Amino acid sequence: MTVIAASCGGSDQLEIDGLAAEINPAECVEGQGEEVTIYSGRTENLIEPVLEAFACATGISVQVRWGSSTQLALLIDEEGSRSPADVFLSRSPGPVGFLESKGLLGTIDQSVLDLVGEDSRSDQGSWIGFSGRKRVLVHNVDLVPEAELPSSVFDLTDEKWRGKVAIPGTNGSFVDWFTVFRDQYGTDVATQWLNDMVANDARYYPNNRSIVDATGRGEIEMGLVNHYYNYQEVAASGDSHRALNHDLDDSDIGSLLIITAATVLESADNSSEANQLLAYLLSESVQSYFTNRTFEYPLAAGVEANDTLPPLKALEIGSVDFDALGGGFEETARIIEASGIQNQ
Amino acid sequence: MIRKRAPRELQIVGLIGSLAFAFPGLYLIWRNFTTGADPLGLLLAGNTLEPLWRTIRLAFLVSLSAAILGTALAWCTTRTDLPFARLWRVILPIPLVFPTFIGAAAFIRTLNPGGLANDAFKSLGLNETPELRGLVGAWLVLTLFCYPYVYLPVAARLRQLPGSLEQSALILGDNPLQTFRRVVLRQIATSISAGTLLVFLYTISDFGAVQLMRYDTLTRAIESNYLARPPMAFALSLILLILAGAVVLVERSMTRRLPEVNTHRTSLPMLYRLGKWKHLASLFVAATFALAVAAPSAALLDWAADGLIRDQRGGNSLTINVDKVVEAATNTVSSSALAAVFALLAVTPIAFLVGRYRDRTGRIAHSVVIATFALPGILIALSLRFWTLKSGFFGDLLYDSMALLIFAYVVRFGSLAMGTALVAVRSVPGALHDAAATLGANKWKQLRTVDLPVMRPGLLAAAGLVLLSTMKELPISLIISPLGFPTLTTRIFGSFEDAFVAEAGIMAVTLVCVSALLSWFLVLRRADHL
Repeated sequence: MTVIAASCGGSDQLEIDGLAAEINPAECVEGQGEEVTIYSGRTENLIEPVLEAFACATGISVQVRWGSSTQLALLIDEEGSRSPADVFLSRSPGPVGFLESKGLLGTIDQSVLDLVGEDSRSDQGSWIGFSGRKRVLVHNVDLVPEAELPSSVFDLTDEKWRGKVAIPGTNGSFVDWFTVFRDQYGTDVATQWLNDMVANDARYYPNNRSIVDATGRGEIEMGLVNHYYNYQEVAASGDSHRALNHDLDDSDIGSLLIITAATVLESADNSSEANQLLAYLLSESVQSYFTNRTFEYPLAAGVEANDTLPPLKALEIGSVDFDALGGGFEETARIIEASGIQNQ
Repeated sequence: MIRKRAPRELQIVGLIGSLAFAFPGLYLIWRNFTTGADPLGLLLAGNTLEPLWRTIRLAFLVSLSAAILGTALAWCTTRTDLPFARLWRVILPIPLVFPTFIGAAAFIRTLNPGGLANDAFKSLGLNETPELRGLVGAWLVLTLFCYPYVYLPVAARLRQLPGSLEQSALILGDNPLQTFRRVVLRQIATSISAGTLLVFLYTISDFGAVQLMRYDTLTRAIESNYLARPPMAFALSLILLILAGAVVLVERSMTRRLPEVNTHRTSLPMLYRLGKWKHLASLFVAATFALAVAAPSAALLDWAADGLIRDQRGGNSLTINVDKVVEAATNTVSSSALAAVFALLAVTPIAFLVGRYRDRTGRIAHSVVIATFALPGILIALSLRFWTLKSGFFGDLLYDSMALLIFAYVVRFGSLAMGTALVAVRSVPGALHDAAATLGANKWKQLRTVDLPVMRPGLLAAAGLVLLSTMKELPISLIISPLGFPTLTTRIFGSFEDAFVAEAGIMAVTLVCVSALLSWFLVLRRADHL
């Protein structure tokens, strides 16, 4: 956990520098003793400057527990009504669905919900997206000619791609994606696709990062991942990283946008401060910061995506029944397990 | 040796210790049997046999190879005239400190096709390195990361054995190999066995390495089920616990048959001249270093370097600075050092109960402590959160405190100190006590003047195991740590998860350097004692 105090002992004015000062260039506001506690599944490398800027701009002191989204969701479930957390930030929809199914999520203020399009928030007001990751096909530029790249995930079951496609079968964002796939096309079609992929020797990797890494090295030709890992790799290693993203058709399920979600917990003691924080995450300066730092898509109305990102016309996860994700999860896990992808 | 009844105080301390260590196991049982879940039905309905079989097979293979590798390395670095032996003694424990989620990823990035080693070997005409994955990949990386569990206690024991027995054997006509088998091996057998048990238990609880090597074991199934089907995750964890209990019992019955050798150093340990074998031995130790330390470090350095030169290329600046690295490193060292000290304090009384008094409470406590090592860290973290919530005022007092974090670390890693501490207690010859008692020394004086000096190398090795393992601990550090307490591992994890690989690399390189420093300190301290 980290404490970002707005003021220490009255007269000490909070001062911020670096990235936080870029987000909030104004003078800091003196605190009135308000506080908010966050469990964050997004990394502190990304979020800490935002929280410092928030503490400075509002005078609210912020406490954070950083962790993995899954483990933090389990912790909140364990703590129940006694959880000190007011806000939970999740890397993917799954843990949010889990908490929703346990009845642990509160309702976000309508004024905050209105900051994003209807597609990027829950109908019940229990969660709101604050950044988006698009599903793409990452491929090694030396092994796969651009002209031959497919336009749909359904093409990947073709003999041509036998043994050449990596799937992060048990990874959170893949599981979320597959749940939406079932919701859109029906469980039979989705299950058939996964079984066909297994029959076509699709290769299992545990997560997006390991697929982007393996594709860059040429260990595997291509893989289904979230878009922003490859941007980070290119930003880190330049041309020596030999993989690029390929966007499937905009209407294809393989181009789904998966959101990272913010929630206010039912047990929150500081729900007003929590709502202020969520609104801050969706402010223009923070949304620009996200997209320029991590190459994710901003979700607040009117904020431009980083100019290296292709324009977003893809399906958004909110346009399907995201709230069914929590309940549909168990069945998804069973189907994926039964497909045997994890042993490929 | 005359068997005495264990002092009542010691029994009470042992009982409290075993209760503390039983928290996670009790939580798991509570979760499985009170919420209307049906663990047996779930396990029978699901496909659990295959992952269970894979888990056991992997654990056996890793145990076997780590036992051989760890023992061989310990013998080479402590009992021969191997060049740079002291340097190797500092470096060889380091693999213990790699969190497997990044250590295995770094290992793959260096050695797998298209990796750094591939680039380096291209000029030598070697075009493709083989793809490490599945059983072979998981076996290799876990053997390389786990051999210190055997190496550290065995090296400590080897440095303690008197040379006189070996000299006698050699004089009586045994060749060095026969001497090793008939004299040395018998004296270090309990240390090897205790270390190998830890390797086995670690392997069945590991998630990071097996998932990256894509070898589907129980922990992967547990991990996938936490959110989707929590009762299944808990039921599968119960299998781990039962498996751990069974292995602990088997190990105990095996070591019971081993001859008990109460030897301690009355003459200097034998030092063997390697002669024509010197180059081969050097090659062996260097190869282990290259695979277990250099290979993962190369990828970590590569990531770190990318971050450090990125500014010049006009990329995003780093999100961490020197202050953050120092803060995380300080937190890591202070919490691990405390955990090591308290782990020793927690398990030494139990070791006395078992080793000296053969007390039944002690034996139960001993089994509980060791079996807990097979539980995934997240379960230990959740169980402690659960018990502090259930215990009202006392729990509120502990919540968000450093004390609870250290307690959790001790529960997680006390097992590492347990076996080695037990060997240390058993290595104190009873005759020394009788002599001390005859000379009028009371219990405390005996402890100070007889037990502790003899046990010292073993206890230091035990502390070293806990220290280095705590430095890489993740789930407890994330879930139980108090406010404002980032550690190197939590920073590595957060960075790596969200693809901030440069930051992860810098923190991981720092972790390796800090652990080398600590290991140097421990080795020096032991060397001073020579």
